[in-house]
Amino acid sequence: MHILVVEDEPTLAAQLSQALREAGYAVDCVANGRDAYFVGEVESLDAVVLDLGLPLMDGLTVLKKWRAAGRSMPVLILTARDNWHEKVAGIDAGADDYLTKPFHMEELLARVRALIRRSAGLASAELACGTVRLDTRGGRVTVDGQAVTLTSHELRVLSYLMHRKGQVVSRAELTEHIYAQDFERDSNTIEVFIGRLRKKLPAGLIETVRGLGYRLACPE
Amino acid sequence: MSVRGSLRARLLAGSLVWILAALTATGFVLADLFREHVTERFEAELRIHLDQLTANVEFGADAVPRLRAELSDPRLRRPLSGLYWQIDREGGDAVRGMLRSRSLWDTTLEVPRDGPRDGEVHVHAVAGPDRERLVMMERIVRLEDGAAAPLRLIVAADERGMTHPVREFVGLLVIALGVLAAGLVTAVMLQVSIGLAPLKRLSAQLAEIRDGRSRRLEGAFPNEVQPLVDELNAVLSHDAEVVARARTQAGNLAHAIKTPLAVLGNAAMREEGALARLVSDQVATAQRQVDYHLARARAAAATQVPGLRTALRPVVEGLVRVMQRVHAERKLRIAIEAMPDAAAFRGEEQDLQEMLGNLIDNACKWARHAVRVAAVVRDGAVEIVIDDDGPGLSVDARDAMFARGARADEDVPGSGLGLGIVRDLAQLYGGRIELGQAPAGGLRASLILPAA
Repeated sequence: MHILVVEDEPTLAAQLSQALREAGYAVDCVANGRDAYFVGEVESLDAVVLDLGLPLMDGLTVLKKWRAAGRSMPVLILTARDNWHEKVAGIDAGADDYLTKPFHMEELLARVRALIRRSAGLASAELACGTVRLDTRGGRVTVDGQAVTLTSHELRVLSYLMHRKGQVVSRAELTEHIYAQDFERDSNTIEVFIGRLRKKLPAGLIETVRGLGYRLACPE
Repeated sequence: MSVRGSLRARLLAGSLVWILAALTATGFVLADLFREHVTERFEAELRIHLDQLTANVEFGADAVPRLRAELSDPRLRRPLSGLYWQIDREGGDAVRGMLRSRSLWDTTLEVPRDGPRDGEVHVHAVAGPDRERLVMMERIVRLEDGAAAPLRLIVAADERGMTHPVREFVGLLVIALGVLAAGLVTAVMLQVSIGLAPLKRLSAQLAEIRDGRSRRLEGAFPNEVQPLVDELNAVLSHDAEVVARARTQAGNLAHAIKTPLAVLGNAAMREEGALARLVSDQVATAQRQVDYHLARARAAAATQVPGLRTALRPVVEGLVRVMQRVHAERKLRIAIEAMPDAAAFRGEEQDLQEMLGNLIDNACKWARHAVRVAAVVRDGAVEIVIDDDGPGLSVDARDAMFARGARADEDVPGSGLGLGIVRDLAQLYGGRIELGQAPAGGLRASLILPAA
């Protein structure tokens, strides 16, 4: 899952990035509105944490421009201005949720998780596919109730596939969603992660669709 | 409408006094001139008769005076016609009414004792044969040789010949001047109405601003009033600016303080130990203090700026959109019921959002499945009712909810300042909030505010 953090206060931006990375997300971080708009425009993002008071271009304008350009990723507004007038303006500009500073990091993580889940059309925080279960809250994976240990990249690949059960996901799409922007992206490494996941998970769970990509086949 | 208190009455009274004084003076002058003229004519006519009489007197051989010929005016022959002549003999054997006109019939004129010298003509007022008032003119005539006693020649005419035309003229004059006065007063009233119309429009527009139907005085006013209108508009927009500035400052302060608080709090959460716990606690306390005082500052800025009107429905709909997103996990049914489109709050939009936002947010936090919002307008107030189907509150707990920073359950997120701020804001606008029980069993919050 690829998340963009837009925050101009460097310490807070670092704290957010760290917490989100620890929660298993690929995180990009920008500190002004113009960069934010650019990244949101070109990158495949699964969620955005957006501060409203930004240099160069304010957060609401960035959000409106994204929505006008047809970008539909879930956006969580993070701001110190907590009056209802701003909340209404934020939601009407296209935000999906709203969190006021100061906030508890756990609450932010929970909201981000919920946003990603809802945008994939899923109701529960626990994703299941056959005997495989993924608890998005802690990033724990079990097969038949037995815990399976995954590296962070493996977890990202599995998590992305679990959010899109039954859909064909291309290698390029996977790359975009599991790596942050500044990462050197190599789609061959995806094959490595898929290979390792197939060893740790039940056989036949991850199908290869020739020439298109991968699909998670969940026995009903 | 006292004269001191009303421009209209002042202008009318001033004009009325002036018009009446001018017309009265004109009337007197005209009447006087006319009377003088008529008197002159009247006396000139009498004099002609007297001259004619003088010319016609002659003495017979026995020195008895007689008339050479009758005087020409036919009135002198008609009895009691109002025009008379008479000749008295003066001196030792005085005879009154020695000769007299037929119009005197068998009476004689009582003439005051008066002896004009030769050539003089005297005028008197005397009583006539019919007790009417006469104007009399007399002169004394002597023969050159003194052979006969001097004669007193008298002509007299009814005074009414002179007073009647004057009275008629004055009557007509009064009517004409009255009509003129009425016309002038009407013109003045019309002029005052037209002249003061902009002030009337001004007061109508001010009433609209007071009722919240307008924000500023619109349209062009006359040069004399425009500066006042401009000043008023400046004051109105200055008030609005002050509120906006206060809000912006509160927002900036919030931003300046809360971001460092967030950084501190998050840093402390990652650490173990007494210091980390202390920081976490103090950050939480600071946050509550900041929230409370910022909310108060915003509320204080909202004091009665006139000319504000906020339609209810768009605000409620905007807030419901927020709730549906923010509480999306809860899958709540948030229904807007009975809400007249005309329902409006006499006050600032952000303040209404603040009050309703806190109340609806509270309801959403506690509700199990559904929240409903409804409004009615009655007696100049708009009452907004927010019901939830949550656990509700006991009567004691309801009172405690308004205490500063109180909240019923620490597990439900929220600073707990919401209700206190709602109450403070409502009171600033002269409204109130009441807590009760909803039909579905949860809490019912009723917000009563002045309607616009």
